[in-house]
Amino acid sequence: MPQTPLSVSHPAVRRGVNAGPWSLGWVLVVLAVLAFYPVVFRNFLTLGVTIVLFAGMATAWDVLGGWTGQLSLGHAVFVGIGAYTMALLVLRAGVAPWWGAMAGVGASVVVAAMWGAVTFRLRGPYFALASIAVAEMTRIVANNWASLTGGAEGVSLPSLPRFLGLDLFSRRVEFYIALVLLGLAVVAASWLQRSRFGYHLQAIREDEDAAMAVGINPTRDKVLAFLASAALTSLGGSLYGIFLGFFEPRGMFSLDLSVQLALMAYIGGVGTLFGPLVGAGLLVGGSEVLRIYFPGKSLFVYGLLIILVVLFAPDGLGTVVRRVRRV
Amino acid sequence: MKQMIMALALVFLVLGTAGGTSGAAPASGEPIRIGAISSLTGSFATFGSMERAGYALAVDDINTAGGLNGRPLVIDLQDDTSSANTALTVAEQFINSGVPLILGAYSSSVTKPLAVYMARQRVPLLNSNSADDSITKPGSDYVFRVGQNTDAYVKPFFALFKQLGTIKTIAILVSNNALGHSVENSLLTQAKDGGYPVVFDQAYDEGLTDFRPVLNRIKDTGADVLAMSSYEADAVALMRQIKEVNLNAKIFAGAGATGFAIPSFLKGGGDTVEYVITSAAWSPDVHYPKAHELFARLKAFMGGAEPSYHAIRAYAGATVAADALRRAATLSPEGIRAALQTTSLTTPFGTVEFKDFSGFHNQNPLPSILMQVQHRAYVTVWPLDVAVGKVIYPTPVWTARK
Amino acid sequence: MVEFIQIVVNGIFTGGVYAIIGIGLSLIFGVMRIVNFAHGVFLVVGMFTTLFFFERLHVDPFLVIPLVVLVGGLLGVIVERSLLEPIARAPEHASILMTVGIGLVLSNVLLFTFGDAPQIINTRYSTSTWHLGPITFSTALTISFFLTVVVISGLALLLGRTDLGRAIRAAAQNADAAELQGINTRRVRSLVFGMGFALAALAGALLLPQLFAHPSIGPTYTLKAFIVTVLGGMGNVAGAIGGGLLLGITESLGAAYVSSSYRDVFGLAAFLLVLLLRPAGLFGRSRT
Repeated sequence: MPQTPLSVSHPAVRRGVNAGPWSLGWVLVVLAVLAFYPVVFRNFLTLGVTIVLFAGMATAWDVLGGWTGQLSLGHAVFVGIGAYTMALLVLRAGVAPWWGAMAGVGASVVVAAMWGAVTFRLRGPYFALASIAVAEMTRIVANNWASLTGGAEGVSLPSLPRFLGLDLFSRRVEFYIALVLLGLAVVAASWLQRSRFGYHLQAIREDEDAAMAVGINPTRDKVLAFLASAALTSLGGSLYGIFLGFFEPRGMFSLDLSVQLALMAYIGGVGTLFGPLVGAGLLVGGSEVLRIYFPGKSLFVYGLLIILVVLFAPDGLGTVVRRVRRV
Repeated sequence: MKQMIMALALVFLVLGTAGGTSGAAPASGEPIRIGAISSLTGSFATFGSMERAGYALAVDDINTAGGLNGRPLVIDLQDDTSSANTALTVAEQFINSGVPLILGAYSSSVTKPLAVYMARQRVPLLNSNSADDSITKPGSDYVFRVGQNTDAYVKPFFALFKQLGTIKTIAILVSNNALGHSVENSLLTQAKDGGYPVVFDQAYDEGLTDFRPVLNRIKDTGADVLAMSSYEADAVALMRQIKEVNLNAKIFAGAGATGFAIPSFLKGGGDTVEYVITSAAWSPDVHYPKAHELFARLKAFMGGAEPSYHAIRAYAGATVAADALRRAATLSPEGIRAALQTTSLTTPFGTVEFKDFSGFHNQNPLPSILMQVQHRAYVTVWPLDVAVGKVIYPTPVWTARK
Repeated sequence: MVEFIQIVVNGIFTGGVYAIIGIGLSLIFGVMRIVNFAHGVFLVVGMFTTLFFFERLHVDPFLVIPLVVLVGGLLGVIVERSLLEPIARAPEHASILMTVGIGLVLSNVLLFTFGDAPQIINTRYSTSTWHLGPITFSTALTISFFLTVVVISGLALLLGRTDLGRAIRAAAQNADAAELQGINTRRVRSLVFGMGFALAALAGALLLPQLFAHPSIGPTYTLKAFIVTVLGGMGNVAGAIGGGLLLGITESLGAAYVSSSYRDVFGLAAFLLVLLLRPAGLFGRSRT
């Protein structure tokens, strides 16, 4: 790979790495506005849960993909681990789903640590390719190891204990849990925006060799970012499993799902606080609109949208809004 | 973001009216609307278009015959884009708009999460075409299935084997998905019960397509029967390569229907699919009233394309729904559920009753039939009372064919 | 033993087509540094173009190959000029994203044009075979393997012996230096992308008589192409041949002797190992 010199065109460099102390305030404002969604759109909770949940997972993806600049196309592994660990513990051991979700986080962190330690010596597209291979192998193994996962027939969750008296299958409850998750992910991102660790990651993203020269340990920092990203994605996966109520390895570990998370972040803007949220809203909400008005054409428009974003808004649509506001 | 929400809100306002299928009808009065979810786009769209035809004709017939006690039936058919997530979104919108009954979906992988959701919402789901056993086993009080499950697909094969007498061993090759494994389990159980050793049992990963290495292994086992389950493209590829590696079995069985029992199998497979025996849910040869007539009308509706049994089962599903709506004490989900449970109806597809048996719940116990490809056409060969042709057995070896 | 040879022979023949898919991808990566996520879709475009000519002109699918290659090449040049050239200087994720978008658009155009049903064509040789001793050869696979060898030899001559080939190799080694030598690298990039598309389309034409075409199977082939190129070394054209054959044989043996449900794991595992241990590929010397 040719080494790209510190690129002055990179969004983070262009707008200044520190977006200002008010960013946390914005996080709270946006979350507070979103909290009214179930009240306003009480008939469209399923869509709301999907948008917020995917926004949360895309933001988690962005911790590695955007802030650290390591393009992963295998994050479905953590969605799958989160969902399966939770479900299998519920079904086989009667463990409550929230503890199951924690166990999923543990499992995801272990997997991410091994995965990162082995493949982080690869850079750029090589890391992305390796991530596809890891995810595809995981999918095939999950599909075939029936005694562990239930195999291709999938698992279903007929009933769950109540969480603090709340019905976990209620879309309203799921929405607020997803919102909390999104909040966690965005707060993590906003911390990356300002903390020393965040600067390290951004330095690695811009030029790994230069970062090493100033005393940053890229492999360690990349692995740490990967762990955080995996843990948050895994929580999202557990909730996604509950939301679906039934799932199979081919859906939970699919390359499509991995690519979708990355696309949401890119379309909204990587390495920004709200980019993944904007991307998730556009892609999930948009495909629902397209499904109704352009039946069968939604993927086509999806593809077109991606091309247009790359050509005309390479930093993501979220940053277009920002630029317009600054003018 | 705000604008997007506004745009979405607008869309939702018109959502309830989009995509409806309604029939001009002598029935007057306020229409009764029920929901239907099918895969009109995406990987299962071939089957979704069959379901659409079945629903549309059923609505026409119901409404010209006086509707539901004088009120016309409207089936609001929505696309799930072959994705479970979309199906759940659509189902919620149906339920929130007061729909008391939903028909669907096509694929087992969409129907399973949908069934879990519907049971939780306590709104009945009437499924016509998903085959996976687990949808009604254990099932739930709110999930009803008109169509045959994989156990039923596999059963007539063993009846046939018993009658033929000279069959000893079975090899199994199924696609590595929910349907494939459901067929595999049914085959394993029934082979064990019938005392037929299974000498080979594998699932293949979908996607590609070089079956030669596996087929060579099966050839070595010398199994009498090769039982398979695949979607449409793989079914043809399998038969072609079976010929290529010169694998000879006494019976090539499409044990899960699906890819082996649709018109494109005949067209794509040419002479390699000759003599294949497949289970099927239905054929025009069955003795039910108006079966041949319905087949012709469906064909006309689909612009001359040959309908598969999926269209007829969707027709039957809509007919069963209308029957339950007529009999229901109240047009609430509970009222309709109670009415569905006492269904006893003869449709062009066959009799429909929802029974509990051997672990199944609210499952229509209709048997499957067997069809054999003879002279590039499906000929019903089993059970004997509806058969129009005799089974050609054993399958001629490849070298003996022209 | 006969069975083993039979399985290896099958693997080699399948591997030949994998090699063609991989060479195109490798060429594009070598010169343009683009990981082409639409490569499998290009192959499917080739399948449907063949299908179109086969059904309209009623000629043998192998005879329309020149037409298919031409269509593929033109499409490739158009795509490069209109969509990839403008982002040539953008960070690498932009080109990955762009090719994902191109793939989605192309596969959906196919969907609108040809519909959802898998398309299968029947030719005289779709299921015919010939024998060499106890070993059976598929006629369709044999023809496609023969054509593969011809095309690869032609390509080797083109790259090795012509000015254009030298320009391509120079641009792959160092674009700036090539530019200083008076090579129009912009033109080279367009040509290379056209060649990559054409090769993928060719692979599609070769596969159609045996397999089926469906608008949405592109990603499966993209993944195969990735595996082949990584095994052979990204950007290493000769390596892609070895990578293709290796993948074909590995899959065949794995499916026969281990389990067909784990078939794809063998290729992927080899892929990951090579990526980690020999990032330059099995057949190349490390660049760094």
